[in-house]
Amino acid sequence: MMHQFNYKRIYHFIRRDLTIRKSSISTALIVISAILFVFFLINLREDYRITSGEFTNLFGLFYIPAGVLFTFSICKESHDSKANHLYFVLPVSVYERMAAIWFTTTILYTAVFSVLSFVVGQFAIVTGGILFGTDFHLLPMFSGEYLGFTMFYSIIQPVFLVGALAFKKNRIGKTLLVFVLVFFGVMIYNLILFTMLNYRYDVLPGNALASEAFGLAQSDFSVFGMLFFLGILGPVMLFVAYCKMVEKEV
Amino acid sequence: MIKIQSLRFYYPKSKTILNDVSLNFDSGNIYGLFGRNGEGKSTLMKIMAGLLFPKSGSCQVFGENMSRKHVRCLHEVFFIPEDFELAALKISKYEEVNSVFYPEFSKEQFYELIKEFSLSPNENITTLSFGQKKKVLIAFGIAANTKLLLMDEPTNGLDIPSKSQFRKIIAGVADQGKCIVISTHQVRDLHSLINHLMILDQSKVVFDKSLFEVSEHLWFGKPSEKDKHTVIYAEPSLGGKAVLPKLDKDESDVDLELLFNAVLNEPDRINYILKKRYYDASV
Repeated sequence: MMHQFNYKRIYHFIRRDLTIRKSSISTALIVISAILFVFFLINLREDYRITSGEFTNLFGLFYIPAGVLFTFSICKESHDSKANHLYFVLPVSVYERMAAIWFTTTILYTAVFSVLSFVVGQFAIVTGGILFGTDFHLLPMFSGEYLGFTMFYSIIQPVFLVGALAFKKNRIGKTLLVFVLVFFGVMIYNLILFTMLNYRYDVLPGNALASEAFGLAQSDFSVFGMLFFLGILGPVMLFVAYCKMVEKEV
Repeated sequence: MIKIQSLRFYYPKSKTILNDVSLNFDSGNIYGLFGRNGEGKSTLMKIMAGLLFPKSGSCQVFGENMSRKHVRCLHEVFFIPEDFELAALKISKYEEVNSVFYPEFSKEQFYELIKEFSLSPNENITTLSFGQKKKVLIAFGIAANTKLLLMDEPTNGLDIPSKSQFRKIIAGVADQGKCIVISTHQVRDLHSLINHLMILDQSKVVFDKSLFEVSEHLWFGKPSEKDKHTVIYAEPSLGGKAVLPKLDKDESDVDLELLFNAVLNEPDRINYILKKRYYDASV
């Protein structure tokens, strides 16, 4: 086990991944910074302030899609028939690969994107002060909404990680399709389950009482659902991604 | 070092590529893995590197199943694929980010080889030709100083001077107790380099002998009139050169191309002669 998990190797693997993608990461960050800057300036024009809500709305608009794209980009080498031989022959265990990929696409990405958004926002405030005479203020970055976005991203990111490892072509499209199908599948399953359990009580869907019953079920079981979503989905998807990596051939 | 037992492999919706293949590879040897196109040479190399998993049988490297990808094993294996793409970095940066994974990597050796291949560490890999990229990878593979070096068609893409340079470099590192496996269909490129020959044909190993055994039992050259009845295989296109049992003749240089063709055409006779003493074979 000691041979299979080494922090130094994880660090080297992260460094290698980032060095190889240095130019595409830089380009993406510059483009996102420019767009964020323009949007922050537009926000400043309205009330001369960037509120916490405005910041998190803009942050979330780019943070999650860019994170998903970054996840797919990091896993691209494993599918490239000309590059994956050298990628898989590197003396790095599957545990270390998964730890490196997860750390890069979740922790490191969130930290870099947050700092970038803060710096761009602050720069926009200073620029706004020069251009439109807005008051200087510190960007209200940390809020419940901000934490909600980062939490939501860390939960759904493993789902996209599985898609990035499992599919060779049209990876984003196929992952989204599976995601939507699973979502509808769960909805239909819930509907069937609800119908089976409640058909004696005249609360079938379509019945006026149904919405009431749904509401009650939601208030009774939403805690379990939330626990499932927070505590199980992410780790299970990470385990599935690990299994995909273990059985990966060139 | 490598022990392959009853290995079977096929790609999805495809015929069997390797069927009941059993081979052993030991340190201190340079193995030539020959075969016609599509006979499974590259597939076997990928299985040995842990990049493909056998459908049945096993491939053990240093006593470990390669498909489990143990770091301890991967530290000792370097694979140079036939077709590849290197990251768009400077040669020196490529070395910097990849060499850290190999404990025995020698930077001095790498930059010496880069110089010998007439390349500069500051050159960007994207500006190099395929042959030059191959040189970078060969230099890296040798400098990684792994106990096992697997090379799939390493001379493809190299010009004629580079091929002889490659032979010289590989011959230089062969004495260090490494096991080098070179797969190729360009038999001539490995002349005077390998000391053990393996030939794949129709999904099976049809030949697995050291060149010492070959030169002990077989003779290569133009047969005299009195030897014509003992000819195992002759090729008019090669100036009438033939393969014969050595009997009482002087030792001759092993002609790899002729031996390869002879094995593909007369596998049973060749293997029979190599198994038995030539006295028995001549009976």
